[in-house]
Amino acid sequence: MPEYAISAEPIAPPRAPTSTSTRMPRGMRPVIAEALAELGDIHHELVVLAADGRALALAFAERHPDRFIDVGIAEANLMGVAAGLARGGHRVVVCGMAPFLVRRAAEQLRLDLCRPGLDVTVLGVGGGVGYGTLGATHHVPEDLGTLAQMPGTRVFCPADVHDAAWAVREAVLGGGPAYVRLGAREDPQVYDLETRFSAQRPLLLGDPDTGAPGQALVVTAGATVAGALDAVAAVGPLGVSARVLALTAVSPFPRAALLDAAARADTVVTVEEHYAAAGLGAQTALSLAGHWRGRFRALAIDDRPAPVLDRTGLFRFYRIDSAAIVSALLDPNPLTE
Amino acid sequence: MDTAVAIRGQARTDADTARAARRRILGFAAEQTVHLGSSLSVVDLLVAVLREAATGPAGTGDPNRERVLLSKGHAVWALYAVLAELGRLDPERLGPLAGHPADQVPGVDAATGALGHGLSIGAGLAEATRLRGRDERTFVVLGDGELNEGSVWEAVMFAAHRRLGRLVALVDRNGMQQEGATADVLDLSPLAAKWRSFGWRVREVDGHDHAALREVVRATADPADRPVVLLARTVKGKGVPFMEHSAAWHTGRLDRAQLDAALAVLGQDRTVARA
Repeated sequence: MPEYAISAEPIAPPRAPTSTSTRMPRGMRPVIAEALAELGDIHHELVVLAADGRALALAFAERHPDRFIDVGIAEANLMGVAAGLARGGHRVVVCGMAPFLVRRAAEQLRLDLCRPGLDVTVLGVGGGVGYGTLGATHHVPEDLGTLAQMPGTRVFCPADVHDAAWAVREAVLGGGPAYVRLGAREDPQVYDLETRFSAQRPLLLGDPDTGAPGQALVVTAGATVAGALDAVAAVGPLGVSARVLALTAVSPFPRAALLDAAARADTVVTVEEHYAAAGLGAQTALSLAGHWRGRFRALAIDDRPAPVLDRTGLFRFYRIDSAAIVSALLDPNPLTE
Repeated sequence: MDTAVAIRGQARTDADTARAARRRILGFAAEQTVHLGSSLSVVDLLVAVLREAATGPAGTGDPNRERVLLSKGHAVWALYAVLAELGRLDPERLGPLAGHPADQVPGVDAATGALGHGLSIGAGLAEATRLRGRDERTFVVLGDGELNEGSVWEAVMFAAHRRLGRLVALVDRNGMQQEGATADVLDLSPLAAKWRSFGWRVREVDGHDHAALREVVRATADPADRPVVLLARTVKGKGVPFMEHSAAWHTGRLDRAQLDAALAVLGQDRTVARA
């Protein structure tokens, strides 16, 4: 028997991975903009703040102009104003470019918003390396971990527009501080409208559960989910059966669901558009330690300077793309690396 | 309860309250290391603003109360002392006293301590007040050394642009910061012109003149469409001559002899704020 408690709640049933050809890329911003405006229609206490970047807030601002404030290019002040509004009884959504929200305003995020547990959701556009060729100033491969280490803060990393729309509503209505990493460009569509998401019970995708030991498990979130599904589809004909645990809520880390999913796996591979040290690699290893035995591999961004490449190229460069996942599944512990 | 405000049936003046608060600060410094100089300089300003703030301290649950944020959180000892003298806080019941304002302490509207945060939070509170259609003021007390922080000027620009006429900034202009004179570390002058050029109304006041402070703080209730800053000229270490204008007493802990010496001379100073 495993040493951990298995939740009575069933894991979402495995679904066949969507084939690559049907994954039409879509940008998250128009969908989230409408979701925010709808939240504003219902929740009259909701205020939206931006820092000279209004794409996410345009619809909200048109419908609720008195509850939209653009503070200008001033992220530290942005967070402080959000804190004051929240202390004054408002629910607040802060929109901006992830690197500047997360790094430049880290102190305000931590002390003014997260420590007191205020009702503020930060929507960080272009987390990870989402801004691609814009370069190092615009990459933030530490956003999820930075926010996960802030007190009482829920962190979401959705994979596509449906996942993102769920994550934003969950973040805003869930109470307390939250961060959602959103895509800056178009993301492949992974899910359909009927998909039901859960913070504690991430989706298990890929091959059906064989019930037998020896299946591999890929743990991932956000923009690497599509590549993980492609990889699982590619290794199937080679005799490797694998499932994908696709997280949307990465913090609090869904430990029980991971342990359930990994119970019969002999191989666990984590894949993330993030540094492993404060990301899925570390969280997965911490959760498995003492409860699981097998081959483990963490695919993550490292600290080599990013070459001038788009996001797809950067995934290839950092070896977090589907080809790298295929290699890891076929040989999780290569001696040459 | 306002028993601390009346002594033997006689109305207590702001000067009485301030003197008693300074005695408390020195008492705190006998128990632990405290930020002495800046706590002593800001006492009179806090007496004026906490008396003025209309609807009671944080923790009363009244969403429409006027808010007071001590953005120069290291001067929390003055906040504890003045709140105690006004009968709004019993320091004995707080347990160990934190070196910066923490949430859940009566009288604290936002935890502070990292400099350059308070004015932004105050601006957000002022926005919330306006969205509620109310006109309560939000007071934010800043240090002049704190004005080194760029985030303060983000908030200054923002508040003027948003015409937050119910936002009141009060600067404890003691002319000193940790390592010496503000003029030597990072010169702020011409300070009034800076605020004015950013779109604020500026009032300059002697930060130890209780009558002048009351008047200028009370005048902030007048309707306005722009925020106002009170630049209060003060003396770091005010009230204890051997601590005044001295960076050496930025922080300190007093032994028995030092405490006795400070209490003996408290209020006997004749120093005035430097222009």
